[in-house]
Amino acid sequence: MEYSNQRPPQNYSQMDDQKTLDLEESVSETIMRDLRMIAFKLKYVLIPKEQEDNGKELRNWDLWGPLIFCLVLAMTLSFKAESTTTSTKSDVFAIIFVLIWVGAFIVTLNAQLLGGKVSFFQSVCLLGYCVFPINIEAIIIAFFGSYLPFVVKLIPVLLCFAWSAYSSVGFMASLVPPHKKKLAVYPVFLFYLFLSWFSLIV
Amino acid sequence: MDFGIQNQTDEQKQANKEYPIQNNNEGNKNQQGYCAFLTIQFYTPYFNVTETDVLQRIQGTFLPLRPDFLNLIRGNPDLWGPIWINATLIFLITAIANLRQIDEEKENQSFVISYVPQATALLYIIAFGTPIILAGVMKFLGVDLSFFQTICLYGYSMSTLLPITILCYFQNELFLWLIIVYGFANSSLFLIVNLKEELDKLQIQKKYIIIGIVVTMQLALYLFYKLVFFSYVNK
Repeated sequence: MEYSNQRPPQNYSQMDDQKTLDLEESVSETIMRDLRMIAFKLKYVLIPKEQEDNGKELRNWDLWGPLIFCLVLAMTLSFKAESTTTSTKSDVFAIIFVLIWVGAFIVTLNAQLLGGKVSFFQSVCLLGYCVFPINIEAIIIAFFGSYLPFVVKLIPVLLCFAWSAYSSVGFMASLVPPHKKKLAVYPVFLFYLFLSWFSLIV
Repeated sequence: MDFGIQNQTDEQKQANKEYPIQNNNEGNKNQQGYCAFLTIQFYTPYFNVTETDVLQRIQGTFLPLRPDFLNLIRGNPDLWGPIWINATLIFLITAIANLRQIDEEKENQSFVISYVPQATALLYIIAFGTPIILAGVMKFLGVDLSFFQTICLYGYSMSTLLPITILCYFQNELFLWLIIVYGFANSSLFLIVNLKEELDKLQIQKKYIIIGIVVTMQLALYLFYKLVFFSYVNK
């Protein structure tokens, strides 16, 4: 496996004596190691310059990162739900949560059905990490949204949507045969558009 | 399989060497036969299109009286169109229905999120459930319906809703009813014209049952559209 400039933090080791060492370390160390791994992957996915090995690092997929971003997004959007929408907070939370996971599942399934050869969880992992810019815009709008007119709100929304879409499109497009590229890329685009729209109106 | 041939003589073993391989393949095929629709490989042949094909097929739905669409999908029905046209519609419904609220005063603004599950259920049940019902009824009446071609047909018939949804942004009641009626007429005609060659295999009276089912489902779809999603009228 090739690594870029930074080495990722060491994961679950395979030697027995190191396993006992993992069990003996403090909880904060374990959590910090996982957080560092998530941060490393995040930088890898969202900043294209870090990808010197053409995406091979993504083979170490994990679903913790996507879960954290999904929960943060759902909580942010359900925070002000009752004051701006006709649904309850739990409705909004449920819809966002289901939308992210089922959406990622269907987009990946679509890429596989079009003939792409990619591990299922690798793709879900990537799509989940690319939700992070949508998180940022949701938080911005949650705090400053009531003070800004609609048109001004559009600017960060569009920027973050473009960032998410651009990061994930490169990976998705490389999976399928060339004549079906747009068919695989359009669902990704629709997925992030949907999430951006939600962060805009809630 | 392997246990069965251990007690044979050498000659028989030699003769049977080819058989286990064939039997294994047939055994696998039988297994695939029953649960095949749960695997990905079963659906891969139905995604054999490019983006220009998809665009051409969508264009073919807007002129229902010309037989272009059937010629386009003959032998190559695809599932990409039905799935993603409906997904786009769900997004457009949520977007446009809520966009109409943006022009409102701040006090009266209330965005509606519950359209997402409602629209998902409505669109996918009509797009995929109606072909299943049609296939069942046709089988009952004695004729086979090419299942995936009908699903493809239904999925693409939803593409008339794409411009209609965008036009629903405007608040004029009369205009909305006009475009809804136009959409209903267009998609019903499209479906009936393209199902004609399958329907011709039936007797006259039974044809009307099928046409009746088709038209009723389209009517339900368009009425639901108008009354639930875009019924909000201000001033």
